[in-house]
Amino acid sequence: MRFYFLFYRTAVKAIAEYRVDFAVGVVTAVAMQLAALGFYWVVFSRAPGLGGWKASEVLLLFGLTALVLGLSELLSNGIWWLPYYVQDGQLDRLLIYPVDSLTFVLMSRPELHALGNLATGAVTLGIAWSTLGVPTWMLLLVPLWVLCGSVVYTGALVVTGSLMLRVVGPWASHLFTMHQLLNTSRYPLSMYPGWLRALVMYVVPFGAAIFVPADFLRGHGSLLGAVLWPIAGALASGVVAKLTWNAALRGYQSTGS
Amino acid sequence: MSALPRPSALQMLHGFVVLAQKTAQTKLTYRLATLVSLLASVTSYGVYLLVWLAIYRENPRPGPLSRDEMLAYLIVAFLVNSLLVMSVELRFGQRIRSGLVASDLLRPIGFLALQMGQAAGDVLVNLVYALPLFGVGYWFFGSALLPHDGVALALAVVSIGLGFLIAFGLSYLIVQASFVLQSGYGVFFLRASLHQVFSGLSAPLVMFPRQLRAVAEALPFHHEIETPARIWLGLVAWPEALRLMAWQAAWGVGLLAAGELILSAVMRRHQVQGG
Repeated sequence: MRFYFLFYRTAVKAIAEYRVDFAVGVVTAVAMQLAALGFYWVVFSRAPGLGGWKASEVLLLFGLTALVLGLSELLSNGIWWLPYYVQDGQLDRLLIYPVDSLTFVLMSRPELHALGNLATGAVTLGIAWSTLGVPTWMLLLVPLWVLCGSVVYTGALVVTGSLMLRVVGPWASHLFTMHQLLNTSRYPLSMYPGWLRALVMYVVPFGAAIFVPADFLRGHGSLLGAVLWPIAGALASGVVAKLTWNAALRGYQSTGS
Repeated sequence: MSALPRPSALQMLHGFVVLAQKTAQTKLTYRLATLVSLLASVTSYGVYLLVWLAIYRENPRPGPLSRDEMLAYLIVAFLVNSLLVMSVELRFGQRIRSGLVASDLLRPIGFLALQMGQAAGDVLVNLVYALPLFGVGYWFFGSALLPHDGVALALAVVSIGLGFLIAFGLSYLIVQASFVLQSGYGVFFLRASLHQVFSGLSAPLVMFPRQLRAVAEALPFHHEIETPARIWLGLVAWPEALRLMAWQAAWGVGLLAAGELILSAVMRRHQVQGG
């Protein structure tokens, strides 16, 4: 654990050296969340609600999704660099360290612009919280939900990223599929067709970690469900991600110049 | 030592065409990766479509466009966007990191034409993928996706060309940031965010709240997607289409000129890294 902590701290220090990049990154992260909220504005200027959710309730989904994205970028963003590691042959160097290769890759490249997503997510969630009058004690559950959501999202990226060990391409386009799928969490599951609801509840369980807690916060569902669904989703995603990574590594052929 | 002679206009054109061809060939090498990239776009756009379908379920008349008109617009906007997605920023970032940009800056064809030629190659590849997508759209939505008449078709084709000029101009402007930042990632995604809201990709501007619409109309992004899509679908009369295309041309030329000005300023302090 001490090794990982030192490694992560060094990686953060290296990134923090570039202060203008850091500032631009944070502004960008905020702009991306505002872009999503821009569409939210368009949507709720045209409809009073969506799938049985009011505008202020949908903000809960926006807030939790931004927090999940932010935490994943802060702690396990290295997966986005996998295509470059493979193409440049850098993955070989990472694989020979006597540590867990997946954790090592995930921690290799934290993104400080995550702070922009975390801040925007916290503000959005805070606005929804106060508008809806959600009891304060429920705030205690937010870290659990965000952590579980982050594991689900990172797990989905790892499974998709493992493809890159077989399907070499110049960019991280594979990963964007999962990133875009995360965007479904910004709107109520109830407005999606059945196949998509099943996909994001049971296959790539963003819904278990984001929708179920948000539904609980607006007064639906049970406390037990709001705690167990995210944990189950995170555990399943973590295990599948690790197994997929190990299987992909067994067939990995080195490349790079 | 005498300077190399400047290439003639014909040589420049030949170089531009060859660059576009070679870029397209390179990109087609990564067919599976490009297809997965397309899948990511479809996933992303699917969310917009599903949200709009939900809006029309909640409120059957949410604005001036009917449900069918809205769906036709969204499909055409998606296709125009798919056509104009370029890898200028990604390609450029890699060249900066590796230091290979030094050789790009020395090409006789010029830095702007070099980047634009490669961007044109991206569009050629996009066309290969966009045509079958259009076929799928036509299967589901039929003639609603076709241009209103021959004039609309001709104007829309020119408008898409001008849309390319703006999309490339914006990319060319912001890639200059890669010369002064450690990573261009931030500004690239900033542009993507602005594009997402203001290009009309997620909705035509007529469906925007008044304040947001005023901001969108003052920016060039809507001329990339919304203007060609509306002209294609015959949602604007041809005199209005010509006025919009004049704006497109003005934005395109202005953005390219701004990009060239910034490049010359950046070059005075640039140091090549990598290798």
